[in-house]
Amino acid sequence: MEYKGIKSIAEIPKQGNARGQEPAAPSNALALPGPESSRDQEKGVSQNALVVGPSLQSRGKNEGGVPGKSTAVIPASSSSSSRNFSTSAIIERIPSRWPRPEWHAPWKNYRVISGHLGWVRSIAFDPSNTWFCTGSADRTIKIWDVASGRLKYTLTGHIEQIRGLAVSQRHTYMFSAGDDKQVKCWDLEQNKVIRSYHGHLSGVYCLALHPTIDLLLTGGRDSVCRVWDIRTKMQAFALAGHDNTVCSVFTRPTDPQVVTGSHDSTIKFWDLRYGKTMTTLTHHKKSVRALARHPTEHSFASASAENIKKFSLPRGEFLHNMLSQQKTIINAMAINEDGVMVTGGDNGSLWFWDWKSGHNFQQAQTIVQPGSLDSEAAIYAASFDLTGSRLITCEADKTIKMWKQDENATPETHPVNFKPPKDIRRF
Amino acid sequence: MMKPPLNEILPAAKSTVSTVYDHSNDPWFKERFSVVESEKSVVLKGKVVPRYLQREGFVPRKVDDFGDGGAFPEIHIAQYPLDMGRNRSAKPGSKILPVTVDAHGNVAYDAIVRQDENSKKIVYSQHKDIVPKILKNVEEEDDMDEDEELQKEIEQTTQETKAALEKIVNVRLSAAQPKNVPQHNSESKYIKYKPSQQSAAFNSGANERIIRMVEMPVDPLEPPKFKHKRVPRASGSPPVPVMHSPPRPVTVKDQQDWKIPPCISNWKNPKGYTIPLDKRLAADGRGLQDVQINDNFAKLSEALYVAEQKAREAVAMRSKVQKEMMMKEKERKEQELRALAQKARAERTGTVVAPPPSSMATPMDDMDTRGDYDTVRERQKDAPPKESREEREERLKRDKIREERKRERERERRLEAKDAAMGKKSKITRDRDRDISEKIALGGANVGNGKGGGEVMYDQRLFNQEKGMDSGFATDDQYNVYDKGLFTAQPTLSTLYKPKKDVDGEMYGGADEQMDKIMKTERFKPDKAFTGTSERAGPRDRPVEFDREVEEADPFGLDQFLTEVKKGKKAMDKVGGGGTMRASGGSSTRDGYDGGSGRSRIGFEKGK
Repeated sequence: MEYKGIKSIAEIPKQGNARGQEPAAPSNALALPGPESSRDQEKGVSQNALVVGPSLQSRGKNEGGVPGKSTAVIPASSSSSSRNFSTSAIIERIPSRWPRPEWHAPWKNYRVISGHLGWVRSIAFDPSNTWFCTGSADRTIKIWDVASGRLKYTLTGHIEQIRGLAVSQRHTYMFSAGDDKQVKCWDLEQNKVIRSYHGHLSGVYCLALHPTIDLLLTGGRDSVCRVWDIRTKMQAFALAGHDNTVCSVFTRPTDPQVVTGSHDSTIKFWDLRYGKTMTTLTHHKKSVRALARHPTEHSFASASAENIKKFSLPRGEFLHNMLSQQKTIINAMAINEDGVMVTGGDNGSLWFWDWKSGHNFQQAQTIVQPGSLDSEAAIYAASFDLTGSRLITCEADKTIKMWKQDENATPETHPVNFKPPKDIRRF
Repeated sequence: MMKPPLNEILPAAKSTVSTVYDHSNDPWFKERFSVVESEKSVVLKGKVVPRYLQREGFVPRKVDDFGDGGAFPEIHIAQYPLDMGRNRSAKPGSKILPVTVDAHGNVAYDAIVRQDENSKKIVYSQHKDIVPKILKNVEEEDDMDEDEELQKEIEQTTQETKAALEKIVNVRLSAAQPKNVPQHNSESKYIKYKPSQQSAAFNSGANERIIRMVEMPVDPLEPPKFKHKRVPRASGSPPVPVMHSPPRPVTVKDQQDWKIPPCISNWKNPKGYTIPLDKRLAADGRGLQDVQINDNFAKLSEALYVAEQKAREAVAMRSKVQKEMMMKEKERKEQELRALAQKARAERTGTVVAPPPSSMATPMDDMDTRGDYDTVRERQKDAPPKESREEREERLKRDKIREERKRERERERRLEAKDAAMGKKSKITRDRDRDISEKIALGGANVGNGKGGGEVMYDQRLFNQEKGMDSGFATDDQYNVYDKGLFTAQPTLSTLYKPKKDVDGEMYGGADEQMDKIMKTERFKPDKAFTGTSERAGPRDRPVEFDREVEEADPFGLDQFLTEVKKGKKAMDKVGGGGTMRASGGSSTRDGYDGGSGRSRIGFEKGK
């Protein structure tokens, strides 16, 4: 049932005043639920007593949000509405305060690198931004030149597909993790495996490096996120608590230092000092396959098949959903400093979002390389380069695709088609 | 009210004896001031109730905390002065939480999820936690301060985490270090042992033993002997509220979308039985579409046929014309040659011979004339030219035949040489390497259709039967049944011990190489006899023939006597009869036989 609300906040008090039955404060607007047909019965409904207290209280608790939000109060005993609103008595409506999206140039694919012999499942950038490495289902790690897209080196050693890659910023090490339960540490000066972190009971699905401490975090199908001391290869913690595969992890220098997403559709914050859960977020309905931290803001986004959600960071408060639904399994997500978020889906859809407003400004679709099936169009990993001007996606058609912004596009040629959400009830 | 417990609490006086009169011990004083003193003692015991406005952090829980007073209204927790209102039935370990309310008097229903472990965590449980919010981005101005703060926070967190993790890692590392391997004490203990039964039968006669006791070394790398039981995982953190709407019931469309049709096989029906071939073929519709062949295929093939035909005709015509041209050219040249020869002859003889009519010249004639040339010369040398015309013609004819034969032989030789060079078996040599059974099957044997035609081999013993047993029927081991060799085409011996050609060529190398190898090897020398034997055999050219054993000398003539007695004088006749002689004769016949002649019945004669 579509919520046919009143157009803008400015009109609401006017309408209320016109009726002359509004006992509420002017900032509290009355909105009425129900379909168009219920409009006729507005008068009868509006005569119900309004509960002001809870609305005030909720305002007071929502200090962290935008101040001066308007609060719509919905009568609980709406005879016209078939839906029962008793549980969601209060709905914050912030249409006019919703931030406008910034204009971003559309992205276009400018290079397709075909070199892997299997699905390309993971990617990591070198801190110097001159090369990047990709891990594939053909059990190799290939190192490519960013500028030319040429193959520089191929590393072999894993015996199953490689699901996680990371390049250390503080050492000449690269880390890889794969379905073969192995986590390896490569010395990039010798191109050799110099350490192997043994302990996962099943395939390793994600990998992250701590930014300030020499720690390696891996999450796997054994539903545990393991914390390794890089030098001694000792497992410092096994962060157990998820009920299903841990498929995404990222780290921060401050608490919470580790955030994991899992197939049990929860996100957990971990206290690295004690190896304990700090917070569990249960906002998702389906498995959280991708997590992405904003490079500058204290916030992150999590993607599951039904929604992409944004959370603030130190405390993990839910901020909002992205304004469209991709309706596919989202395997990859990346955010650059310009506030462009990209999500890659299992059906080859690559959606670009404005970070601040959650507006989806471009919906691209990858084209599979000749010789592959249309169904082999999944995007398994995506990453911006360090400048944020290039995007690299790793796909199931065994290719690596590079994207950049269209230089010729202007706000005039590609206008932003944005309507602020009137009704945010998809949580 | 407080007195009876206070009296009990108070310690007993240590001494009642005092030098100075203590009026406080007086009963009247006691009566008057005991309350004050008791209050003093409360203060001394540390149960100090902070002053008003200084009760921050003071949590009155026990009866004493109230200091004989009532509840403190400024402290916002449930208070039970004098245990009034405390629910006595609630046990300390009970799982029932008290109802709590917030500042506005609303019941905090989420107290249950913020219990023990979760109390220190952030737990989102309210509706406002799922309401969208927009992140404030107004703090742009105090960016510098925030950066510094952030850096400080990062450093602090890093230090703390590092320390905590180092501790853990060090513990694990030291546990893994091999220094913790238990050292077994190597000192040994000696025990003197005297058996109680001192006799030779026990203890092998010793009356005293010294036993050294050493601890058995333990392998530090030995796997544990006892299985570790898998401990069930400790329950994780307590559950948190689910902050999303319940899953929607599956809509009809979803259900339909999820209905995946079973895979249909052409080979098995749904019950798993194999579908018969004809039905399968009928089902796949292969026979339903009739094949339509384009007309152009027929046209193309027809056109191709016509073109080929034409091309062939043209080629034939051209080759015919060419042949004619060549023939004419040849004729012309021959004519010239002939003319030259005529001229030369005429010059030599001095007579002018009219040139033969050119139109009549044929290759035959040409040969004739050439023959003429020779013969004329010859004739001029030794034979007077007096032969008649018929004689001359005869001679010419013979010459011609001779010439022809010669040429044919030469041609054959050439062909053969070419074939041999190419590795092909010539007509003559190809039978050489055949197997015996093959040769017989091909009629190469002397049997039946020999070259004489209808030459039959007979068992020799069937002839001369009128002479009876003494002429034929030699003993069976004498190999003189046939009067000539089975194979007449080539000498048997020359092929018998040679490797066959082209058999196992790739394995052992060609026949020639093999032969060479055999011939040249030092180990195998056909003529080398055993050392120490007196007789020195020359090169052998035939199979070893085994001689009949010479009968041992019979010094007493007993054997002879016995045979004589048995056979009468017939035995003596046979000695001279030449049975063995004939065998050797037969073999000589065979050797001398030149083969392939048309003569009949020559082999049946005895050796000459």
